[in-house]
Amino acid sequence: MIPAYWYAPLPSFLWQVVLHSSIMGIVFYAWARHVGLPSGRSKRRLLGLLLVLPLLTAAIPGRAGLEFRERLAWLDSGRVLAVPLGAGIRVYHVILLVALLMIALTVWQELLPALRRPRTSPAGVPEGLARFARSLTGWERCEVVMSPSADIVLATGGWPRRPRLMVSRGALGQLTEDELAIVVRHENAHWQAGRWVRSHALFLVRLLQCYNPVALWSFREYCLEVEIGCDAEAVSGRDRRLLAGTLLRIYEATDRRDVATRGALRKRVDVLLDGPGPDDTLPVATIGIASAILLAILPWVV
Amino acid sequence: MGRLRGLGSFALIAAGLLLVLRLLHVGVPLFFPDTRPGPFTLASLDEVQRRVGFAPLVPAYRPEALGARPSSLTVTLSPQPTFVIVWRGEHYLSVTQRRGGAMPAHPAGSQPLPDVADSTWWRDGSQHRLALKRGEFWIEVETDLPSRDLKRIADTLTPY
Repeated sequence: MIPAYWYAPLPSFLWQVVLHSSIMGIVFYAWARHVGLPSGRSKRRLLGLLLVLPLLTAAIPGRAGLEFRERLAWLDSGRVLAVPLGAGIRVYHVILLVALLMIALTVWQELLPALRRPRTSPAGVPEGLARFARSLTGWERCEVVMSPSADIVLATGGWPRRPRLMVSRGALGQLTEDELAIVVRHENAHWQAGRWVRSHALFLVRLLQCYNPVALWSFREYCLEVEIGCDAEAVSGRDRRLLAGTLLRIYEATDRRDVATRGALRKRVDVLLDGPGPDDTLPVATIGIASAILLAILPWVV
Repeated sequence: MGRLRGLGSFALIAAGLLLVLRLLHVGVPLFFPDTRPGPFTLASLDEVQRRVGFAPLVPAYRPEALGARPSSLTVTLSPQPTFVIVWRGEHYLSVTQRRGGAMPAHPAGSQPLPDVADSTWWRDGSQHRLALKRGEFWIEVETDLPSRDLKRIADTLTPY
């Protein structure tokens, strides 16, 4: 049997978040594949729901008791967790190990880089670049700083009233003026249409689920979709090949061992070159009803 | 139907997955019987030790008004291994034995039973209820027998 602490309120909630997001993840993944869901708003909605809905369904109280699990639940996951794997190890030991690995991964790959600010300075930023950045929507007060890195790096950060654009010395040296302009437009797009607020809100939701592999995956997919959305906004009315070519140069300059970054760049280039797919593959009403169905069903899985 | 495009495939996928989950719920205990937490109804006190891993504590004092034999023997394995024995005749007695966990819930006005160590008792309508600590076990007694019988029950709890 699984130990009694598993049924205490907090562990039980944490486990059910993983359980419910795994079930939702499988359903959404199979659904997206089946309807051929392209990158776009519908996909971002599904990924956002995948991060948020399990926190609601897992919080519904009164379901940890034996009576509910044995007589009312559609699935009592305790039965699966208790399956022996040999040498005294049961499925729940593996789940605990995965959760610990996810926490370590979150600290290593997300928290530490976020805390470790790159050394930057406003000195040396070309006046023309700063003027161009401040001419873009919402960036009138943008702080433009330079990093001494020789790699091609452009990133944005800061807060809504004080956005910040970081350009590396390598980007200034290797990108043409047009390439630099379109990449700056891409960074500016991160601040448009509520993307900054939604991304940061979902990042907090993701941090709450730092032990949950499904949340890790869905947040990364969401970030990639945001990048694709910003690419589309940056090239709107312009030549797509310019940004695609710039991304390919960054792809080639990226360490081969950094498979995740290279994969994301490759996908962005593919979407840019193929053009946007139909963004109404899954209408809002469909996603709303699907979410309501899952909200009604998932509490019966404990 | 354009506004609900894709809903049919969602329903099919969700139904398919739910079916798989139900198969797991039903199928896992068939292959791994000890993964089910219970409750299990037992036919005899001899089975208790094998099921929950401890010897049941049974009161030697049992007035005839409770009936000759227990009306039910039940064990659950999770969250804590628990054994419940119930007699139901003219009167009623239920003894629950749980290994570990928190002290059974009791009202603020409950008080120790005189001359019974680690005990708390209280009245709940027409019933008397008693919570005892015996080693690693919590014992809960629930009965409509007169209150003087509580001490006799507590004093005569012996391993079967």
